[in-house]
Amino acid sequence: MGKIIAIHSYKGGTGKTLLTINLAAIYARRGKKVCVLDLDFRAPSLQSIFKLGGSEYWLNDYLNGACEINKVLFNYTPQCECSGTMLVGLANPATEALRDMSAKDRKWEMRALGRLLSLKNTLLNDRELDYLLLDTSPGLQYSSINAIVSADLVLVVSTIDASDIEGTKRMTHELYDLFEKKTAILMNKVPIEFLSTPVERDSVYKRFENTHTLPILKIIPCFCDVLRAGGTKIFVRDEPDHPFTEHLQEIATKIEKF
Amino acid sequence: MCLSRSGVNRLTISKPLGKSPTALLEKIRESLDKLNEKMEVFIELQKQRRNQDLIVQDLPEALDVMTLLSLPDHLRKTAVSICKLGRATAQEVAEQTKRARAVESGYLNQLVLMSYLKKERKGRKAYFFVEK
Repeated sequence: MGKIIAIHSYKGGTGKTLLTINLAAIYARRGKKVCVLDLDFRAPSLQSIFKLGGSEYWLNDYLNGACEINKVLFNYTPQCECSGTMLVGLANPATEALRDMSAKDRKWEMRALGRLLSLKNTLLNDRELDYLLLDTSPGLQYSSINAIVSADLVLVVSTIDASDIEGTKRMTHELYDLFEKKTAILMNKVPIEFLSTPVERDSVYKRFENTHTLPILKIIPCFCDVLRAGGTKIFVRDEPDHPFTEHLQEIATKIEKF
Repeated sequence: MCLSRSGVNRLTISKPLGKSPTALLEKIRESLDKLNEKMEVFIELQKQRRNQDLIVQDLPEALDVMTLLSLPDHLRKTAVSICKLGRATAQEVAEQTKRARAVESGYLNQLVLMSYLKKERKGRKAYFFVEK
């Protein structure tokens, strides 16, 4: 059976969305069936990256019980130039929708959790997907915790920012551990000089592993090209030989074995 | 041998029950376990009432993720399982959590008493579910 992976972080701007879409594209190019869902209802972003335009149905509608998941999914396989399948589900970016989602009550959130949990059957069992990647809102948001409860693996993206590290540590004990989730950390945007020699790299890994008490899946250096691309590039497709792409390929392989 | 109360409020030695002291101790232990379970429910209900007094509009019966986070570890595991299964017997929950059926049965009934779950009997089987 396939895996559900939630990509989460304590703070915003850690690179969750970019990592999510690039990991999805890697798996699809490896011949896997993949689906990416934008569960960041406070600040939806996948529609601008995938340039998919308007949609009749959004993930908001699926969670509202207004449609089935098939109505929400776009087939991004041709644009991805992959041998597998890549499906994308978007969150509604309209201001009214953001307002509506932030005003939902606990009963609604409970039903939304049920709808999200049922995707394991509809997407992984019935449609035989290999990976379902959930891009989430940072911090302790209802939609993010729903995604974490539904996931088989949680990837936590952190920068070296002290408050980010502190917050990630807190979430490990007060969120991921409580739901007994398999969790791994991706350290992103780490200054390249921290990783210039193998000895330095090893010491950085040990330092972060001791701090987080969780496995560090990968330390990704800060690349100016990635920042320059403004979060819109699918590196795996557009720049397959870029070092950032190589890091992502290693992460994808590690997740397969996790 | 065991002691029992006679009709005139006097303690007398009754007939032997034919059970070994170990069996009797086992029975006492079971009763104490049941008592403990009930005490836990009372404590949880007490906590809920206190919270209700503080936040009147915050309905306690919704089993959303924030409620899951606030549950004690042993109940959270059971509650998450039932959320995933939708509707299940204690046996089915026990298969997920890898705990004994009797233990899960106790926890599921606690969650019913706390109004987070509903229970429905069909023949000899009892099904637990979250009311949507």
